[in-house]
Amino acid sequence: MALSFLLWAPLFFALLGALLGRRMAPKVALFGSAVTLGMAIYYIADFDTGKAGLQHVTDTVWIAALGIHYKLGVDGLNLFLLTLTTLLWCVATLYAYFRSWDRPQLFFFFMGLAESAVLGAFLSQDLALFVAFFDLMLVPFYFLIGTWGGRKRVQATTKLVIYTLVGSLLMLAAAIATGVESVGNSGQISFALSDLVRVGLPVGTQEWIFLLFAAAFLVKMPAFPVHGWLPDGYRAMPIPVVAVFSAVLSKVAAYGFIRIVLPLFPQAAVHFQELLLLIALASILYGSIMAFTQTDLRLIVGFSSIAQLGFITLGIFALNPQGTQGALLQMVNHGLVTAALFFIIAVLAARAGGSEDVRDMGGLAFRAPVLAALFLIVALATLAMPGSSNFMGEFYILLGVFESKLVIACVAFTGVVLASVYMLRAYIGAMHNRVGAKVQSRELSLRDGIVVAPLVLVIVAIAVYPQLLLKRQQASAQAAVAQTALLTHQLALPRATAQTAPVLPQGGQTP
Amino acid sequence: MSPTTWAWICLALPLAGCLFNAFVGRHLPGERTAGWIGTLAIGLSFVAAVGAFVALMGHSPDDRTFTSTAWDYADSVGVNAKLTILIDPLSVYMMLVVSGVSALIHLYSCVYVWKDRGFVRYFAYLNFFVFSMLLLVMAGNFVPLIIGWAFVGAASYMLISFWFRRTTATRAGIKAFVINVIGDVGLVLGTYFIVFRGSGSLDFLDTFKHVQAAFPPNDSDLVAGCILLLVGAFAKSAQVPLHTWLPDAMEGPTPVSALIHAATMVTAGVYLIARMHPLFEDATAAADVGTVVGCATLVIAATIALSQTDIKRVIAYSTMSQIGYMIMAVSASAYAAGLFHLFTHAFFKALLFMAAGSIIGAMGGEQSLDKMGGFRRALPFTFACFLAGGLALSAFPLFSGYFSKDDILALIGGEGGWHWILYVLGYLGAFLTALYTFRMIFRAFLGPECKEARELRETGHIAHHEHPFNPETYEEEDTDVGFPGPGHYIAEQQWPMKVAMGTLAIGAIFGGLIQVPFVDDLVNVYLRPDFVNDPTYEKVINGPSDGLVIFGLILSAVIAIGGIALAYVIWVRRPSIAVAFRERFRPLYELSFHKWWFDELYDAVFVRPGATVGRWASNVFERVVIDGLVNGTVSVVRAGSSVVRGAQDGFLRVYAALLLLGLALVALWFLLQST
Amino acid sequence: MTVAWYLVVSALIFCVGAAGVLVRRSPLVILLCLELMLNAGNLALIAFSRMTGTGDGQIFAIIVMVVAACEVVVGLGIIVALYRRRLPIDVDQLRRLHG
Repeated sequence: MALSFLLWAPLFFALLGALLGRRMAPKVALFGSAVTLGMAIYYIADFDTGKAGLQHVTDTVWIAALGIHYKLGVDGLNLFLLTLTTLLWCVATLYAYFRSWDRPQLFFFFMGLAESAVLGAFLSQDLALFVAFFDLMLVPFYFLIGTWGGRKRVQATTKLVIYTLVGSLLMLAAAIATGVESVGNSGQISFALSDLVRVGLPVGTQEWIFLLFAAAFLVKMPAFPVHGWLPDGYRAMPIPVVAVFSAVLSKVAAYGFIRIVLPLFPQAAVHFQELLLLIALASILYGSIMAFTQTDLRLIVGFSSIAQLGFITLGIFALNPQGTQGALLQMVNHGLVTAALFFIIAVLAARAGGSEDVRDMGGLAFRAPVLAALFLIVALATLAMPGSSNFMGEFYILLGVFESKLVIACVAFTGVVLASVYMLRAYIGAMHNRVGAKVQSRELSLRDGIVVAPLVLVIVAIAVYPQLLLKRQQASAQAAVAQTALLTHQLALPRATAQTAPVLPQGGQTP
Repeated sequence: MSPTTWAWICLALPLAGCLFNAFVGRHLPGERTAGWIGTLAIGLSFVAAVGAFVALMGHSPDDRTFTSTAWDYADSVGVNAKLTILIDPLSVYMMLVVSGVSALIHLYSCVYVWKDRGFVRYFAYLNFFVFSMLLLVMAGNFVPLIIGWAFVGAASYMLISFWFRRTTATRAGIKAFVINVIGDVGLVLGTYFIVFRGSGSLDFLDTFKHVQAAFPPNDSDLVAGCILLLVGAFAKSAQVPLHTWLPDAMEGPTPVSALIHAATMVTAGVYLIARMHPLFEDATAAADVGTVVGCATLVIAATIALSQTDIKRVIAYSTMSQIGYMIMAVSASAYAAGLFHLFTHAFFKALLFMAAGSIIGAMGGEQSLDKMGGFRRALPFTFACFLAGGLALSAFPLFSGYFSKDDILALIGGEGGWHWILYVLGYLGAFLTALYTFRMIFRAFLGPECKEARELRETGHIAHHEHPFNPETYEEEDTDVGFPGPGHYIAEQQWPMKVAMGTLAIGAIFGGLIQVPFVDDLVNVYLRPDFVNDPTYEKVINGPSDGLVIFGLILSAVIAIGGIALAYVIWVRRPSIAVAFRERFRPLYELSFHKWWFDELYDAVFVRPGATVGRWASNVFERVVIDGLVNGTVSVVRAGSSVVRGAQDGFLRVYAALLLLGLALVALWFLLQST
Repeated sequence: MTVAWYLVVSALIFCVGAAGVLVRRSPLVILLCLELMLNAGNLALIAFSRMTGTGDGQIFAIIVMVVAACEVVVGLGIIVALYRRRLPIDVDQLRRLHG
């Protein structure tokens, strides 16, 4: 089955729903997201674990004069990110389905458009196509936040969009430069990643192009210190929007690093490795410290996301297969956990007179044992308690960094301790101690439960068997960092067995 | 059936009990069915542990190591984390202790949390704890060990803050959890050093086989790794300096204190060092660190216990001190002795906590020794249990603690060299132990009767306070929410409590007979296959001369009896001595009463600066720098545009002038161009 | 009588008109001066038309006259509206539309 179906299905159903009117729009959108989820699961089942290259490739030339291909493909890097996207959009649409919105056709249309754009960013194997989808992702969110958001929504969305667009513009320049500079012997320009990888750019060019790409991705994640859009943005977004935004969009940036930056600019990646590791470390520490001084639950989760994305960046820039595997696993884990947290925050706020401030809450666990149990599972997963899949992700990430830069790994561990502090503080502040003044504790309703429970189930399932993801990601992860690992002399773990030798690229890399 | 099959059954039963209670427990008929089911699950688990033991014994001593893998947890790019269990004499030993004592504590809990609204939740958590602890001791690969380690920490958190309406309980819970996470970090980082700079495999047996080849003796990577493992052990076993969570953990219900914070979870550190003994043999520097810390803890904790007034905290510090003995022993390669003390300690410490629960019940929830007195005739059974446990703890001759503590000290003394200091401090600790234990017993049971005791003895009614209160802060509680439950129970009136305590008392009294010097050596013989390749172990076992052993036995007896006698004189005969002592040696008393100011130190070094940094980041940095970046750009753009705007001032004639001027300039330019 | 004379006259009239636009404050007078400038331009156009011998300049001059007429209509309409609303008929004081 062609990947284009998966890519355009959400937009198709969203358009259909918008045309069918305000009563049919939510139902059609929900149906569409479920169908997309089904397709994504099909791709997991149909995945050939041994191969390192792309599968289910769709490749046609789109703009011949510029060498832009409409090229889509699935491999270990994006397989589970696709499922994460479709799952979270399905759950968010379900959440939105149970609530009333002003002009629902438009709302669900924008959600569908956003989903297609994100799927496009994950699927595209052409640099220009990736940049196009990356920028397209932002447009529906501008409207979603600006129209249906909360307090100070217009300022927040303007700030968010402009901040991200500045980065995207830099990335556009860098992408064009890459395409132009990579015109090899054939004299023909091409933006397909497989063609770009074959041409090694000179180191000087690589370095400034790397910095521009890094700027764009770091703003998107966000990383310290370019996270200024996050507090206002997260406070203003409606719940389903912030859930998918925090869970999925940040991963596009991290994915961009692994898919594009590391294979195309390996020397630059090695040159700037320490800088990026330090930025990641700063994100971890700053995000954690801010998280435990906040009282607004959304900001606690928001700053915790900065810290978690810091860990993911740390794993990517360890530049070895362990770090990459950890980063890929953690991307999926963090997405699940953060979305679940935002839906739980919505449930908690409903019981605290609409306030999302933890000072107004307290003692909510009293009449709501199921809610307390689900929240505890998600909280423990967020702080990466061993036994959760987040722990295995962090284990791999920190192992990767330990292998390359010992001191940074040791400092990063304090981030783990800080995570337990702020996460438990938030949990206890909301669920335990005396009951807050405006609190009416009641159990999770079926409507809320049907949104949160599937996410918790998936979190638990992956916690029991993370190998499900690791096995399929392995070949692609090794291939992605093969060049950089070679450059930093990290071919294999000491005294390791044959199975761990990385798959080095042979000649023409991908089909 | 093979030992591993028994082991899987032993592991699965508590998990099944937990899930059953969690999902279905609320809907069961009867008031306490969930409790009976939880107890049954653990009871059957103990039976399975016995089955594993018998199956293991069926094989010859060289052939008593079995592994079994459930599934590949995460096997990729050089990390082979499989869910493997390792069944050998050491793990079966721990399984028996854990499941056995847990079963009795479950039985006791069926009464203790009877009318509590959280009854079902309690048993789900407690079963989960037993599952986690069994996973920890059965683990055959670093990853299930770390997972079990974290799960027991989570279970401990959930049970400490069980009565979550109390701020003291939730605060104690988060403190315990965070220190536990520090221990987890140590464990993980230690694994990195040991495995990924050494053996390359996360499997225990592979690591142990290759440790000599991978590391020269006292190699810096191995020592670093072992010290980090020790950090994990110290956090879990409440050794100095990671011990501050244990006294606060007494916020949990008393059976929880008995199970988790006395008999099982806190002994995980001891188990870890014993399990990792090939590594510690090779990294003797790390082992020495363990020995010194264990010794320091046993002395510090003993001094603190002398001044505490909350009965549960006295027993908590006593636990810390006894575990110090165990850590000291296993770090000094006296593995069987340390594990033997673990076994006897589980009995008498759990017994002491259960008995404390009984007397707290009789006091209607009051825990302070200052308010207790003269319960000897009102609570005879509880008194007998306290005596049994206390005599065992104080190493009174022929009780279990006597033989186990003495075994440790004899082996330590036998090692010679600087270990003599540890030997002396160990006996000093024993003296203080006898002193504070009997201070507690005499103050609670002897002396003038308090009014609760008199009411109980005369009418058989347990004291009931009008307004329920938090025993730590005395603030009034809202127990109309249903927990802590309104019921207070004593052993004399409840048969499950009697049965549980009685069984433990028998163990506390007679448990030591399995390893009496010159008579039998069962623990040693049983555990020998685990340590068979250890030259250091052989040396240590044969270290003490017969004379030293006999001297030790006599010295122990003298110290124990002397301590008890001194306690009798001070707290029964002439209470004024205690007061005078307190005045005379005020600084020492303050040092002891304020727990050597560790809490205050950590508050000043970590908590307060952390909060300050956070506030600074939130108020200053975020506003000035981060927002400044955005707002600064906005201001620059605004300023620029206002400059440009100045040209559009609405003055028509200025516009006209500019127009004409521009026109003239263009014409001039063209004119010049054409020449 | 060469074309140059006519051009000089046209330039003089243009300058007088321009000066008037710049200096006078009444919109009515500014309109008159604008008319002056336009007619100066017309004069130049006709002179050039005569010089080249084609009729283009004259046709353009008629178009300019049409434009001038329209513009005057609009301008006078604005002035009448200003008067009706009792706003000051003074260009220096009519400054509300600014950046």
